Amino acid sequence: MAIRRSRCEAPWAVAISCLPRGKRRLCAWSEMIQKIRSAGLHSAVRMDKKNRLAKIGAVILLFFLSGLPLAAYIGPGAGFAFLSSFLVLFLTFFLAIFSFVAWPFRFFFRLIRGKKAYKKSQVEQVVIIGLDGLSPELAEKYMADGKLPHLSKLKQEGAYARLQTTTPAISPVAWSSFMTGSEPSKHNIFDFLSRDPKTYLPDLSSARIGKPKRVFSLGKYNVPLSKPEIRGLRKSVPFWKILGDHGIFSTVLRVPITFPPEKFKGHLLSGMCAPDLKGSQGTFSFYTSDPDKIKKREGGIAIPVEVKGNRVETYISGPDNSLLKKAEEIRLPMRISIEPEKEQARIEVSGQKIMLKKETFSPWIRLTFRPGLGMKIKAICRFYVSQVRPYFEMYLTPLNIDPEKPALPISHPFIYSVYLSKLLGSFITLGEANDTWALNEGALSEQAFLELTYSNHREWEAMVDNALAKTKKGLVICVFETTDSISHMFWRYLDKDHPALKSGRALMSDKVIEELFRNMDEMVGRLWKKMGEKSALFIMSDHGFKSFKRGVNLNSWLHKTGYLFLKNGKAESEEWFRDVDWERTKAYALGLGGLYVNEKGREAKGLVGAGDETRALKAELLKKLTGLKDEEKGVVAVSRVYDRDEIYHGPYKENSPDLIIGYNAGYRASWEGVTGKITPAVFEDNTKAWSGDHCIDPAWVPGVLFCSRKIDAKNPSIMDIAPTVLELFGLEPPAHMDGRSLLTKPGIAPAAKEKKS
Amino acid sequence: MWTFNAAFGRIFEIIFLPFRQASPWFGMILISLLTGLLMLFIFRHTSNQEGIRKAKNKIKAHLLELRLYKDNMRVSLKAYGHILLANLKYLSYSAKPMLVMIVPVLLILIQLNLWFGYRSLDVGQEAVLKIKLEEGKNPFQIEIAIEPPAGISVETPALRIEELREIDWRLRALDKGVHTITFRWENQSFPKQVAVEQHRLSKISAVKASSSFFDQLFNPGERPLLKKLGIQSVEVVYPAPGMNLFGWHIHWLIVFFALSIIFGFGLKGFFKVEI
Repeated sequence: MAIRRSRCEAPWAVAISCLPRGKRRLCAWSEMIQKIRSAGLHSAVRMDKKNRLAKIGAVILLFFLSGLPLAAYIGPGAGFAFLSSFLVLFLTFFLAIFSFVAWPFRFFFRLIRGKKAYKKSQVEQVVIIGLDGLSPELAEKYMADGKLPHLSKLKQEGAYARLQTTTPAISPVAWSSFMTGSEPSKHNIFDFLSRDPKTYLPDLSSARIGKPKRVFSLGKYNVPLSKPEIRGLRKSVPFWKILGDHGIFSTVLRVPITFPPEKFKGHLLSGMCAPDLKGSQGTFSFYTSDPDKIKKREGGIAIPVEVKGNRVETYISGPDNSLLKKAEEIRLPMRISIEPEKEQARIEVSGQKIMLKKETFSPWIRLTFRPGLGMKIKAICRFYVSQVRPYFEMYLTPLNIDPEKPALPISHPFIYSVYLSKLLGSFITLGEANDTWALNEGALSEQAFLELTYSNHREWEAMVDNALAKTKKGLVICVFETTDSISHMFWRYLDKDHPALKSGRALMSDKVIEELFRNMDEMVGRLWKKMGEKSALFIMSDHGFKSFKRGVNLNSWLHKTGYLFLKNGKAESEEWFRDVDWERTKAYALGLGGLYVNEKGREAKGLVGAGDETRALKAELLKKLTGLKDEEKGVVAVSRVYDRDEIYHGPYKENSPDLIIGYNAGYRASWEGVTGKITPAVFEDNTKAWSGDHCIDPAWVPGVLFCSRKIDAKNPSIMDIAPTVLELFGLEPPAHMDGRSLLTKPGIAPAAKEKKS
Repeated sequence: MWTFNAAFGRIFEIIFLPFRQASPWFGMILISLLTGLLMLFIFRHTSNQEGIRKAKNKIKAHLLELRLYKDNMRVSLKAYGHILLANLKYLSYSAKPMLVMIVPVLLILIQLNLWFGYRSLDVGQEAVLKIKLEEGKNPFQIEIAIEPPAGISVETPALRIEELREIDWRLRALDKGVHTITFRWENQSFPKQVAVEQHRLSKISAVKASSSFFDQLFNPGERPLLKKLGIQSVEVVYPAPGMNLFGWHIHWLIVFFALSIIFGFGLKGFFKVEI
């Protein structure tokens, strides 16, 4: 179709001349239009002498009334929509053409490089659903009661076994062994925390986030000239990296210790240990006008507020402003208008107004922090007004990194979190997603905690759904921490003798845990249904659970027994060993199960000589601690102590604790002991809502393994999953892996094979 | 209608008052900015902002999907489909604000055409003056007398074109100013303005139209002709000016649309409008 364009023709005139003839006829049907045309275009013979004004109007109305997409070009306002739509269409068309043209080249490129993925594969798709901390005892009980039909079906049609966990039985350790197929001394993760031997202070074991190396001083600012250091500390190779190297695609969702994300052929969203915007593992805020409730809260901050005429002027505590030479907290002003009669509050923050009913969670709210120099840091959070009178109380989730504009890399590729956020809406990005501390510290009620936890769970399930739809060939993994969080916080309802039940009100029942198992079972059913014939489904947990009734302060025991000394005149020590006399101390405990020798040449003020002296001390401690009895209860508190030299053989053994304490069921490291506090009492009741735990002797807390295929289910270990998946995809597990494929004859691990040869 | 046109036209006179002597670009930039703001206001209050945001997010997500699953033809093809569907949805969300916007935009465009659509005659320049008669009238049966003012001379006798129902004269501008030509016919008379060497940004009425609603709507520069005259319009064919950008002549409409869209997009974040 020829386009004639005279000097005076408007762009619309060109556009209308491009319309198919039929459409133009459509445009002309209306008599009114004709009237307008005849009024405006009354000198139609000589186009360049037209009444342009009337023509403009006529053409505009013609487009408008024709109902065509071109009508979008009416006026600049609609031009917005037209322009955006046109760009989208143009981009889509361009990408489509590019994709079609490039696809054969990419195909041949892959072929030439010899990546004949799936050639020896026994399956097309492997799906691993990690239900963190799902207890085998309860799973077996509920299956026997007929309450878990889908898991029972998996057991019948495929396989089920208790899954041996790692030593220690802690999630970051176990999931690192899961992904690398190796024991902890090969992946370097031994606990949530590691210790700095120079300062005796704890560090996050999985990642290090440092400041930029080069900065430019500008007034009160330090302008970064290089990226901040973000370094993962987990070593070895996850099995999805090996799959990727062989052309097999993976989608890895929320597996612990995947922050910062590593490059591989696939998509990854970081899980446990991904920080919040403050750089912590989750810091909630609790606003209250009740003076009795203002106190230090673990895992969060309490912000006192004053209600004046039903209004509250307060702030959101943001990250530290690292741009400033003298770093200070960035605060976002927040105004809250309370409507006591309607039991609701209006929150005004970051240019948004949110009306929130009492005991209702807000959707994800996007916040913008401005540290200066025109920079913006985005976060997302949710509000929950728990009370409006007599006192105002509000909970604010930790400030999550906004997945749409991540301040730190939380996915691979970087755009993956952006994609998920655009497709599914904002979602929680914090590693330790479920706010157990908020419940522990009374900032959230049990009901609210459950609501928030299941809300997070739904976000993850939507991600898995999307991954299953997109990854018909390859690997899909998602770890749900819902099971772990709810088990931790509601286990006391299964244990009628739990001290927390005696000290606090029992508002719920053991149905919470049963409901949790049922919910997980239903999810398994939903996901299983979406999988194809040539698929394998694994449902697994990294460890199980036991009641946590009594805490053991190992540092207090070391102090009492003469291995740890306090500074002169001190009978107790504040947290992080503030009052410990290191020059006399032989051993100390840090973290959830680690005991370290204060070794000369290794620790800053080491006392015990390396080699024989350390070995002798370890043997002495091992002997004394094994079978350590809680005299008050007449129960053994420590069932076994593990010497790292006996259980670990990898290159990072030196970073592990010298001894690992295997607490008996019902016991765990005490809350104060974990943070390096020394108190007069060695044993104490655990009265917190956090009433179930797994940081005990691994023999007590195996996980579960369900598989939709027949596998060798005799004593499987969490390290066996990686080699099994590799073999399912037709790949030989690498020799460094300690696990064995559950598809082959049991007994000989690849590492063992190598040793033999 | 004339009262409305006069009042509405006065607003534009006030807006353009400081820019009469300056380049038309200044006036164009200001009116584009104001129009952009008006459109943002209308868009914000008449559109489904949440729906637009969701539709745009879906489009962006599926565009990212093309990048993320570039080796997967099945996913890519589905993504194309989803993009087109989301795009349609996005357009559908724009329909309501478009309906609302059409009225003010049309009125603004009509006014702007008076300011940017024509250039006044230069002294010594010729122009055609045309009278268009209503349906059924024969120009050969009508005797119209034309009385030019001092600044205008009529160079030709009346040219009558029966097929077009037109009577044409050629004028020449003799002196600068806004001159009024008077037409006389059967004891009736009516004026028509002719602009000669006006400011760089001037309101110029090319057409004096009949008193019908649409004719008045589209030709608001002068009082309408009386119905009983049987004349559809009186038009002076002025030269088209164009906007000069580095020696490049661009139609004012293109400039207006481009600038108002740029301002709209540029300010949408500030006013928190999802477009």
